[in-house]
Amino acid sequence: MNKIWILFKREYKAAVKTKSFIISLLLVPIMMGGSLAVIFIMEDNQDTTDTHIVILDHSGLVEGMLTEKAKLRNKNEIFNPETGEQFLPAYILEFISPDLNNSFDQKLELSEKIRTKDVHAFIEIGKDVLHPGEWTEDDFIRYYSEHTFMDNARDWVSNSINNFLREQRGEALNLDKDVSKELMAWIRIEGMGLVDIDKKTGEQQEAEKTSEIQSFLVPYIILMLMFMLTMMSAIPLLTAVMEEKSERIAEVLLGSITPFQFMMGKVLGGIGISLTTASVYIGGGIAIANFTGSASIIPYDILPWFFVYVIFFVLMVGSGMAALGATCNDNKDAQSVQFPAMLPVILPMFLIMPIIQNPSGTLATTLSLIPPFTPTIMMVRMATPVTIPLWQPILGLVLVILFTLFTIWVGARVFRTAILIQGQKPSMKNLIKYAFRG
Amino acid sequence: MNTIELKNITKTFGSLVAVNDLSLNVPKGSIYGFIGPNGSGKTTTIRMIMKILYADSGSILLNGKQHESLRLNNIGYLPEERGLYKKMKVKDVLMFHGELNNGTDLPAKIEKWLSHFDLSKFSNKKVETLSKGMTQKLQFIATILNDPEIIILDEPFGGLDPVNAELLKDAILDMQKRGATIIFSTHDMSMAEKMCDQIFMIYKGEKVLDGTLQSIQDQFGTDTIRLQTEMGAEALEGIEGIERINNYGKQQELRLSQNIDHQKILSLIMKKTAVLKFEITKPSLNDIFIRIASPERKEAENE
Repeated sequence: MNKIWILFKREYKAAVKTKSFIISLLLVPIMMGGSLAVIFIMEDNQDTTDTHIVILDHSGLVEGMLTEKAKLRNKNEIFNPETGEQFLPAYILEFISPDLNNSFDQKLELSEKIRTKDVHAFIEIGKDVLHPGEWTEDDFIRYYSEHTFMDNARDWVSNSINNFLREQRGEALNLDKDVSKELMAWIRIEGMGLVDIDKKTGEQQEAEKTSEIQSFLVPYIILMLMFMLTMMSAIPLLTAVMEEKSERIAEVLLGSITPFQFMMGKVLGGIGISLTTASVYIGGGIAIANFTGSASIIPYDILPWFFVYVIFFVLMVGSGMAALGATCNDNKDAQSVQFPAMLPVILPMFLIMPIIQNPSGTLATTLSLIPPFTPTIMMVRMATPVTIPLWQPILGLVLVILFTLFTIWVGARVFRTAILIQGQKPSMKNLIKYAFRG
Repeated sequence: MNTIELKNITKTFGSLVAVNDLSLNVPKGSIYGFIGPNGSGKTTTIRMIMKILYADSGSILLNGKQHESLRLNNIGYLPEERGLYKKMKVKDVLMFHGELNNGTDLPAKIEKWLSHFDLSKFSNKKVETLSKGMTQKLQFIATILNDPEIIILDEPFGGLDPVNAELLKDAILDMQKRGATIIFSTHDMSMAEKMCDQIFMIYKGEKVLDGTLQSIQDQFGTDTIRLQTEMGAEALEGIEGIERINNYGKQQELRLSQNIDHQKILSLIMKKTAVLKFEITKPSLNDIFIRIASPERKEAENE
C-alpha cells in the first residue's frame, strides 16, 4: 500500500504541475462562462438593421392589417422605453401582386433578392386562408427565407395573420369583439415541482416553479462534468502507460513494485486528479450560483452520490485504460483501441435528450443499471427534477463496484503480461489471452 | 551460502525456449558475470530472478527462500533498457526510486552519489536535459541508492566512456566490499575477466559455462599462443597445426590443433621471420566466447 501511495503522489504531482492541467482547469469555466457572456451580449446587441419582407397575398385580406401592425410595432415595440435606444429591427413590408402566369419566375426573382440580402424573406398567402378546410389547397401561409428556423419575423407574421383571421371569422359570425377576444384567450401552463413536507421540521413546502434550466441545464452540466473528469484523468492513462512501456520506465519500476501496485498507483493518481478538478468546478459553480442569486438550482442532495460515482467511474475506466495502454507499443496502437474503450464515456452524450425527457422511462432506467454507463446516466437521471427511487442508485452503485472490481482484476492480469511484451498488437485475441491465460 | 539459487528453471515464449532447465548458484558476496550472445536468454534469466517474468517450471530462491511476496526492497535492479521519467528533476527521480525501495536518509545519500558521479550541478535539472551517459549514471545511482544486498545489473557499461566506466566499476567493487552480491551481464569480456569471481555463459537458453575464470580456461587447455613477429600475419601462412588465427595487426593470437607441439610451431615460424614475442597461454574469455558462439560453430550445429 505504501508503494501505491508513493506512485500516487508522483502521478498526482506530475499531472497537477503540468501547464496543460492548469490550462484545462481554467479553460473550461472560462469557455462556459464565455459562451454565457456571448449569449448575454448578443441579447443586448441585437441586429437592428431593417428587416425587409415581401408579401404575395392571394387572399387580398391582410395588407391593411399587416401594414398597420408593422407601423405600430416599429413605433412602439422596438425602442427601449427608458433610454430610447433601438434594440429590435424594424419590419419593412412590401406587398406585391402575385404573378399568376409566371409564379415560379416571380418567386425565383424574390429568392435571388434574399440571396443578395436585399430582402429578408417573402411570404405567400393562399387565397382561402380565411376559410381553410379539406375542400381547398389554397389555405396556406408560406414563409420563404434562408433560415426559416428561429426567425422572430416569422413568428410575428404568423401570430398577426392568425389573430386577424380569427377576428374576421368571429365577425362573420356576428360575435361581439369582447366575446371573440375571450374566445381567443390563451393561457400558458406553468411547470411546477411537487409539494412536500420537510422531514425534520414537518413544515409544508409549496411546490416551486420548475424551469427549463432546472430540468435541462443541471443534468446537462452533470453529464459534461462526468465527461470532462474522465477525459482529464482516466483516458490519458492509456497513452501514459503506453509511453512508460515504450520508454522502458515500466521495466525499471517493476524492479521495485508489482504490476498491480504500478497500475493502481496510476489509477489512483487519476482519481486524485478528477476529484481535484471536480472540487474546483463544483466549488466554483456553487460560488457563482450564490453570487448570481440562483443557488436554488444546485442539487446539493446528489453531490455525495456524484463524488462516489466519479471515484468508481475513474477507477473502472482508468484501470481499463491502463491495461489497454500496456498492450500498446506506439501511438498507432493507442489510437486503434482508444475509441472503443471510450464508449462508456461517450455513449451517454448521445442519449442525453431521451434520458432527460423521460428519466424514469425504460431506456433511462435500463441503461442506468448497466455498469459501464451507470455513473453517468444514473447521475443525469438524479439531476432531473424527477424523483428516482432510492434503490436504483444503490443497486447501480453495487453493480458498479462489482464491475469495477472485475475490470481491475482483468486489467491487472492484462497489464502484468502485456507491459513487458514488445511488438504484439493489442488485438482482441491477445487481450483475451493476456486476461485469462496470463 | 548461496544468495541466489536457480533450480531447473525453464521459460518458453510460444514455441521459443528462452531458458532451458537452468540451474545456477550465486554465492553470497560474489560478483557473478552473465555472458552470452544477444538473444541467448540473459535478460530473461535476470527478469525471472527479479520476478518480472515467471518461470514455467523450476524454482528461484533468494537467501534460501522463495521470494513471492518479498518484493525486492533489498534488490537493486538496473535493466538493460534504461527508463526514467524524463520530466522529473534529477533529485526528485532519485527520491522517487529511493522511496519505492523503502530507502532511509535519502537526501544525504542522493547528494553523496550525485557528487561521486559528478552530477551535483544537474540536481535540479530535468532528466531529459542529461546526455545518454549521464542518464545511465543516474539510473545506476537509482539502482544502488539504498545499499541493496543484491545488485543485478543488465549491461551496466554499455555506452559509457572509459572514465565513467572506471567510476562505475569502482562503485560496483565498493558495493561488493560492503557485502553485496552482484550479478552483471556484459558483452565486455575483458571487464568480465577482470571483475568477476565467477562467470556464467548462456547460449540458446542453455548453460554452457559456469565457474571461475581459472576453471573455465582450464577446460580449454593451453592451446593458445600470443605472437609478435617482424612479418606479421603473413609469416603464418601455410604453417600446419594452426587451427585459427586471430589477427590484431601488430599481434596475432593463434589457436593450435590438438596434440601439436608449441616448440614445433615456433621453429616453423622462426624459419620465416624474426620472432619478437611468443607466449603460451590459456584462451581469453573473448576467445572462449567466440569458440562457443561463432558463426562457424552455428553452421556446424546446423549441418
